[in-house]
Amino acid sequence: MAFYEHTFIGKQDLSTKELDSLVKKYSDIITQSGKLLKTEKWGVLNLATKIKKNRKGIFIHFKFESKDDAVKNIEKKLSIENNVIRYLTVKYDKLDLKKEYFAETK
Amino acid sequence: MRRDKKKGRKGKGSNFKSKLSLFQKPDFRMRRSCPLSAKNAPEVDYKNIKLLKRYISDTRKILPSRITSVSQGKQRKLSLAIKRAKILGLV
Repeated sequence: MAFYEHTFIGKQDLSTKELDSLVKKYSDIITQSGKLLKTEKWGVLNLATKIKKNRKGIFIHFKFESKDDAVKNIEKKLSIENNVIRYLTVKYDKLDLKKEYFAETK
Repeated sequence: MRRDKKKGRKGKGSNFKSKLSLFQKPDFRMRRSCPLSAKNAPEVDYKNIKLLKRYISDTRKILPSRITSVSQGKQRKLSLAIKRAKILGLV
């Protein structure tokens, strides 16, 4: 078991329904084999450069604890997803749950 | 005279410490200590964009530690964090 942080960028023109289903889908996968500690929605942010013809994206951030096969599973599924621009998983020894660099803007 | 010429050539781009020439010996300048190793220093993390933006150039390159005087260990962490932030398009 290890701690992970996972972020993915959804396309800007996703409706809230589609976004929620995306979030639910992946939080379900996490909870199957581990423990979801926190979900953050960073909202729409500007991308520094164009990525796959997108200028903006919706950022979703998970903090969780699980085995590494859950990460493999998530990345496998996200790589096929059409509505996701990019994703990143980072392994941590310790997670800081309090600090939020991107305060929610609604 | 010579100095003026150098300045004119260098002026483009580097807004960070444009005074410190790379080839000049720092005659009076004390060596600054690492700004990221001091007490209450900010944490180096790929989400901390405000910090990372201080250590990249206008063209998104990572600044060398000889300019920013970041210690070796922190520079390694910094470069990793910047690369991660670049993947997500944050920097």
